[in-house]
Order: sequence, then structure tokens, then C-alpha cells
Amino acid sequence: MFEIEMLFAFALFGVGLYGVTSGRDFLRILFSLEMLLNAVIMMLAITAHYLGMTQNITMAYMVIVLATLEAGVGILIFALAHKVSKMVIPDDYTQEVI
Amino acid sequence: MNILLLTIILLLAVASLMIKKTVPAMISFALMMLLLGLYYMSIDAKLLGLFQIFIYAGGIVVLLLFGITIIGIEFPKAKTRPLAVVNALLVFVILSTIFFRGVDSLSKVIDKPTEDIHLFAHSFSDMVILFALIGTSLLYGTIKMTDALRSKRRKDV
Repeated sequence: MFEIEMLFAFALFGVGLYGVTSGRDFLRILFSLEMLLNAVIMMLAITAHYLGMTQNITMAYMVIVLATLEAGVGILIFALAHKVSKMVIPDDYTQEVI
Repeated sequence: MNILLLTIILLLAVASLMIKKTVPAMISFALMMLLLGLYYMSIDAKLLGLFQIFIYAGGIVVLLLFGITIIGIEFPKAKTRPLAVVNALLVFVILSTIFFRGVDSLSKVIDKPTEDIHLFAHSFSDMVILFALIGTSLLYGTIKMTDALRSKRRKDV
């Protein structure tokens, strides 16, 4: 059970990595970044449950806080980039944002 | 039960990236986060599950919706890179290989009796500083970006 659930966490990490590297629009990139961080939180929760590493749950809370901050910064970066160049796909940006 | 839940989570994750319309993609993302919270609750991490639901399915989804209202709901079709699938599969295979090579040594930890753990004092005293540094720099980035956005808007007016 432990191994299978860890495999699901790795698969979620893979899906997130695909979303980040496939060059989609900003919304999908933010989704994918959250998925990457959620895969890490999932691994921490699974190891805490099955291996008794309860201190990992504390680490998971920290990752959640950082993920929230990262989402805030990400939204602002894309809002600013959209304001400057009217584009939502990072590959299409041609000018400096700041 | 857990496997079914995780399968649905994975399918919703793929759906949120593949669905072209923005709002259905957002709904599948929110549902994925909600189910992840329920999954954490099912593996005895109830507070983590509640955090997941409140912060992700609540806060971050609303934040992303706020971003969509600024930028607009229609996104043009992007050219996807075919090598990204290979990249993701490669990372998945590497992670799984590393994990299955070391899983035997991990299982020894289960047999050990649970010790009294002083969480922050023993395990996270160094890491807290690192997390605080990253958090502060992200907060600085947020303030800087807000400032830049405001000055751009002022220039436009």
C-alpha cells in the first residue's frame, strides 16, 4: 500500500512537471506548480503515516505556507506581464516586464 | 478506497491541464485539492487535510480566480512542447527507481518504537531559518510586484 501510494505521489509530480515544461498559458503553469508542491506534501504525509515519521507533517505545513506565498507572487508576476505585453503565454513575451 | 481516491485525484490533475476552457479546468483543480484533503484525512492527518481544503480549495483557488478576472477568461491556444511528456515520464521513472531501490531500508524504520520527538528543537531548527528566509524573500517579491503593478497602472492613467 505504501509503495503504491508513493507511486501516485510520483505520478502527480510527473504531471506537474509536464505542465510546467510544456509551455502552456500562465494558469496551467500555476496549476502545475501547485501540483508539484502538493506531490511533495503527499509524500511527506504518506511517509508520516506509514513509516511513523510524524515530524514530516510539520514540514508539510511549512510547504503549504510557501505554496500560498508562491501562488501570490505568481499571480502578481503574470498580472504585471499581462499589463505590459497583453500576453498570457510566457513563450510569447518579447519585452521586459519590470 | 485510498487507491480509488488517488486515481480520481490523478485524473483530475490531468484534466485541469488538458481541458481547454478555463472555468471547468479551475473546477477540476479545486475538486482535486478537495479530494487530496479528504485523502489526508483518511490517512490520519486530519489537521493537514483541513489545512489543504481551507488553503488550497479555498484560498488559492479564489486567488487564481482573481487572477483570471484581471487577465480575462479566454486564453489563446499555446504551442505545447512534445518533449515535455518524455521529460515528465523520465522523472517519474527515475523517482520510482530510486524509491524502489531504497524502500527496503525505509521499512526498517517502521519496526523502531516511536520516540518522543521534540519537533522544532531536534528536527527543524536549521530548516526553520531556511523556510523563514524563503518566505521573507517571497513576501518581498509580492510587495515589489504589487508596487510595480501599481506604478504601471498609474502611468497608464
